[in-house]
Amino acid sequence: MNAFIATRYLLTHMRQTLICIAGVVISVMMFITMLSMMQGFTDKFIIETVESSGHITIHDEPRETRSKILERVVNTPDAVLSLEGNKPRDQVKKIKNPTGLLATILRMPGVVDAAPVVNGDATITYGTKTYPLQIIGCEPRRQTAVTTIGEKIVDGSFDRLKTSANGIVIGRGVALTLGVQLDDSITLTSSTGGVLFAKIVGIFDTGVTPVDYGRGYMMLSSAQTLLDRKNIINEIVIRTDDYNQAELIASRIEAICGYKTEGWKEANANFLKIFAVQTVITYIITGALMIVAAFGVLNILIMAVLERVNDIAILKSFGYSRGDITHIYLFQGFVIAVFGSIAGLISAKLAVEGLRRLPIKMEGLVRAEGLLMSEHLSSYVMACAMVTVIVLIASVYPARRAAKFDPVEVIRGAH
Amino acid sequence: MDEDFADCANKKRMAEVSASAFSSTSAHSAKSLSTSSSVAPCLSGENRPIIEARNVHRYLGEGDTAAHILKGVDISIGRREYVSIVGQSGSGKSTLLYLLGGLDRPTKKTPDGQVIDPASKIYIDGLDTTQMGDAELAMARNEKIGFVFQFHYLLKEFSAAENVALPMLKLGRLRKKDAMDRAVSLLKQFGLESKATRRANRLSGGEQQRVAIARALANEPAVILADEPTGNLDKKNADKVAEIFDSLGSGGQTIVYVTHDRELAARATRQIRMEDGLIASDVTRAGSISAITKAL
Repeated sequence: MNAFIATRYLLTHMRQTLICIAGVVISVMMFITMLSMMQGFTDKFIIETVESSGHITIHDEPRETRSKILERVVNTPDAVLSLEGNKPRDQVKKIKNPTGLLATILRMPGVVDAAPVVNGDATITYGTKTYPLQIIGCEPRRQTAVTTIGEKIVDGSFDRLKTSANGIVIGRGVALTLGVQLDDSITLTSSTGGVLFAKIVGIFDTGVTPVDYGRGYMMLSSAQTLLDRKNIINEIVIRTDDYNQAELIASRIEAICGYKTEGWKEANANFLKIFAVQTVITYIITGALMIVAAFGVLNILIMAVLERVNDIAILKSFGYSRGDITHIYLFQGFVIAVFGSIAGLISAKLAVEGLRRLPIKMEGLVRAEGLLMSEHLSSYVMACAMVTVIVLIASVYPARRAAKFDPVEVIRGAH
Repeated sequence: MDEDFADCANKKRMAEVSASAFSSTSAHSAKSLSTSSSVAPCLSGENRPIIEARNVHRYLGEGDTAAHILKGVDISIGRREYVSIVGQSGSGKSTLLYLLGGLDRPTKKTPDGQVIDPASKIYIDGLDTTQMGDAELAMARNEKIGFVFQFHYLLKEFSAAENVALPMLKLGRLRKKDAMDRAVSLLKQFGLESKATRRANRLSGGEQQRVAIARALANEPAVILADEPTGNLDKKNADKVAEIFDSLGSGGQTIVYVTHDRELAARATRQIRMEDGLIASDVTRAGSISAITKAL
């Protein structure tokens, strides 16, 4: 019965109703579209970074968890400790017994494959141009098993590393910067003074700028020679069957081997923090839009209440209680929220698909040929739930105000 | 209590229009007022007054500006009575009407904080409305009272028939279709069948008031309370409304109306005159309504 009256009010004041619904539609559409845009960017970065760098990386150093020598001897928290002339031992950093460790890791549940790696810094020179590069020495078969780098080759082949002496696969960004092409010869100079003449056997394009502009892949043995790290493995890259379990598996591996073992989340913690902040900002902006829409509903419902004080009085005179009057106005808010949400979802879907097709070139942290839109069911559900709750909250005040009208005062003409 | 309601005096008058509509109510769960409210300790059943008010005080406003509108009114309205309340503006007649119908509540404390003793009491069909909560009192209004106001107060977004059907739909004894059928029957009784589907705001003043009377009759109320029902009508329409009231009164419907119109007031079999918040005179005239109206 209350729904009948509420629906009639909405239908007979269609313009006001549509204005309210339009506000809700816009806020829902903006919420989903902006979240989709942000999520698309984040997903692209994470997926490409994780897939091209591996889910887990074992480093050649222990995690800094042990306390310092002086702190172990003097454990007074207020003491000022100073050690003069302290000099760390000159030792070669490496993963000891990498073959045995690899065998152990491969037996662990959840691990798909693992690849030994040596890496270090070098400078690539082509003609008069030089460019800094992180050299990753790897076994091509295992590297392509733990990362998707083999699939990202746009020119040449990753497998040519095995057949070409001193071959190197570089990123698209490096190639563009230096102006090199496939089969061009370049010179690599390591930070330890090693020099190697190499041939470009492949160019990859992951779409992630730091990867495309910063890495070069070589055969493990060639890289060890260049970096002066004969027979040394300083990283092991691991692929898991579920990258969401990477942190858990990493902690197990670290407990076994003692080396610092990072899952992809820890390795990209800084980026993930930035994304989290961006997501919060998106929520704040789109949430504010929803609140603005709710204020529109609040405003229009208050006007509707003030216009209908006579109706409220007469409804009360023939038996409608305060609760009934409250329900009539809350129901109007609910209908606006529901129809606004449904229309908002449809509009959002259309907007997402439209934006996805826009030929806007992106060249930043992530490179893409169009806007990266990522849809998640949770965004749609969240938008509907949030807007419904906010609009219902906005409807409470006019509903309660309507319920409070004293019918006698209205009939006497006080309102 | 349901039995009392069924025995209500307007049964005869409503027989033709309600028989078909309310005969189907047995299938529905009838929502009735809770009998938990205290019951008037005097009479019961047919002999019990339909409305009884004792020591009713009402202040309007607050603090120093509060006006003492009703100063301890005692009144009893019996079944089938046809009552007019007259008095000068500000004498408290409309305030009393709203209180009798449960649309307003008596004042419990004077503006200086003293508890009114004995407390004001208003009984509708034996139930103490001063002890009822908002929802219970609303249900009492829905089931027992039919209000008619000076300014028609129809819901303009609804048709004439829908306006009449709304109290029935609220009561919940009839399905929507049955309620609409009964609403059209009531409108037909007042010559408005052809206007049943017309929006309320597209009816003339006289038509609107007749729709309002039909709405007041929708739930076969124990009593119709009317506040200046002809006050906003021209002579012709006022006469029509007066005739409707006479007809209803003759049929046994309990009617109480407030009016400034001496001619309308004289049609009632009982005339109550209010002065300065108290009943100054209460005169019951012998003879039938038709005899009185003929004499007029």
